[in-house]
Amino acid sequence: MSLLEIEGLRARYGRVEVLHAVDLRVEEGSIVALLGANGAGKSTLLRAICRAVDTSGSCRFAGMDLDGRSTATVARLGIGHVPEGRGTFTDFSVEENLRIGAISRTSFRSRSAVQTDLDLIYETFPVLREFRRRPAAALSGGQAQMLAVARALLARPRLLLVDEPSLGLAPLTARDLFERLSGLRDAWELTILLAEQNAKLSLAIADRAVLLSRGRVVHDGPSGDLATVDAIHADYLGGGAGR
Amino acid sequence: MIEFLQIGLDGLMTGVVYAALALALGVVFQGTGMLNLSQGELAVVAAYIAWSCVQAGIPIWPAIAIAVVASAALGTALYQGVVRFVPPHREDSLMTLGVTLLLGLNAIISIIWGTDPRGFPSPFGTWVVHLAGLRLTSQQIGGVVLVAATMLVMALLFTRTTFGLRLRAVAQNPRSAAFLGLRSGLWLSAGWAAACAVGAVAGVVAAPTLGLSPAMMTVPLLMALAAANLGGIGSRVGVVVGGLIIGVLTAIGGRYIPGLGGDLNVVFAFAIVIAVVLVKPAGLFGRESVVRA
Repeated sequence: MSLLEIEGLRARYGRVEVLHAVDLRVEEGSIVALLGANGAGKSTLLRAICRAVDTSGSCRFAGMDLDGRSTATVARLGIGHVPEGRGTFTDFSVEENLRIGAISRTSFRSRSAVQTDLDLIYETFPVLREFRRRPAAALSGGQAQMLAVARALLARPRLLLVDEPSLGLAPLTARDLFERLSGLRDAWELTILLAEQNAKLSLAIADRAVLLSRGRVVHDGPSGDLATVDAIHADYLGGGAGR
Repeated sequence: MIEFLQIGLDGLMTGVVYAALALALGVVFQGTGMLNLSQGELAVVAAYIAWSCVQAGIPIWPAIAIAVVASAALGTALYQGVVRFVPPHREDSLMTLGVTLLLGLNAIISIIWGTDPRGFPSPFGTWVVHLAGLRLTSQQIGGVVLVAATMLVMALLFTRTTFGLRLRAVAQNPRSAAFLGLRSGLWLSAGWAAACAVGAVAGVVAAPTLGLSPAMMTVPLLMALAAANLGGIGSRVGVVVGGLIIGVLTAIGGRYIPGLGGDLNVVFAFAIVIAVVLVKPAGLFGRESVVRA
């Protein structure tokens, strides 16, 4: 059984259907890159998994049917979402942002576990420790993206959805972030579904790649494969392969 | 000079009521994007509930406690029953809803309790303190202490507890909060409950001075709106400071500027607000929003 099993998933904004019967499987412990041009439906697919848009079709996580569940419930089941644009609480301090990430697991027993995880985060991202009392609005783009990822990790998700993390980052910062994501997968025993326009960065860390075009899956295979198919689908990638 | 100080001091005492009401407005506005114009009427309901309890033989302090709890419950009911069905970006619908609740609650109050003004006992006794030529009544001192204590509790609640952290998160970015497992509906109704509890305190503090009547909080609500604008509605410190400034300046203006005084003071309050927002559009303590969609 795969950790995430999606069959015939459709998603709409109002009357406009954006995803058309998407099938997708994500194996536990893997990193799957979700590639495609702007408007291909990558973000919508992540939001559909989180029940943040109108959806139909089947979506099963760890054997549980997500149909009819709220976004908050899906999060509590173990799906973390780092949204496009990061969605950090800009008025909150960095540490408040991190603590609220763990908010759904603060029973008395988990309190020390949360503290341990927080220390681990500070070890991994020393810059967050340095700025922990500062408002999140004061962080640079790369730091804010780290914060968004770290905040999601503190909920101890089994599946992490990361939406367009390279957006607005300098190339070196983006590369650094992707290398960190790969390391986090092992350290936090994660499965990662990564929606990204930047194919090169994504393929470097992904086990599998799925190519979306206009709301449909047009390719699904080991990430090595796509390096060759890449040229064919260059138009879908918005020139991303060479970026 | 003594007279000037006395008027300023009296203004400050009135200002705490505006401050409490403005705080309630701010908490609701941040959470649901709604300027709750019925916040004043909700405070009046609280005062009437306390009054009815006293009439039924319940001592004043337990009566006030009952009123505060009942107000919190009423706030939750209003959010769950009505407000949550209006999307936060529909400012027009929210404005209409605010006016509807204002007039509706006012009518209900009049039906239940009548329109005759009623005396409301001061929970603080009737003694007077004279200090350096200034005169302070027990109602003034007690009112300030009670409102200050309420605000302290709210400040601790918002900044020191996970309850407050959840409330603020849902208020600032409901979608991100949902991705973290927070049920926004639950926490927004908790925000309404907290706001209505603070409003209830404003109501019972204002009632002994203003006299209990359905229209008791009309002017204080307008003053609180001015206070929220002045201080910056997104800042809990700002709305409180705004309330105190409005209280002091309208008291002084009413005494020394010919033609002001009485209800025209509301106009003066908004003139102050306009002068300030010309220089600082988000209010004295407000920050321009930097939230990304």
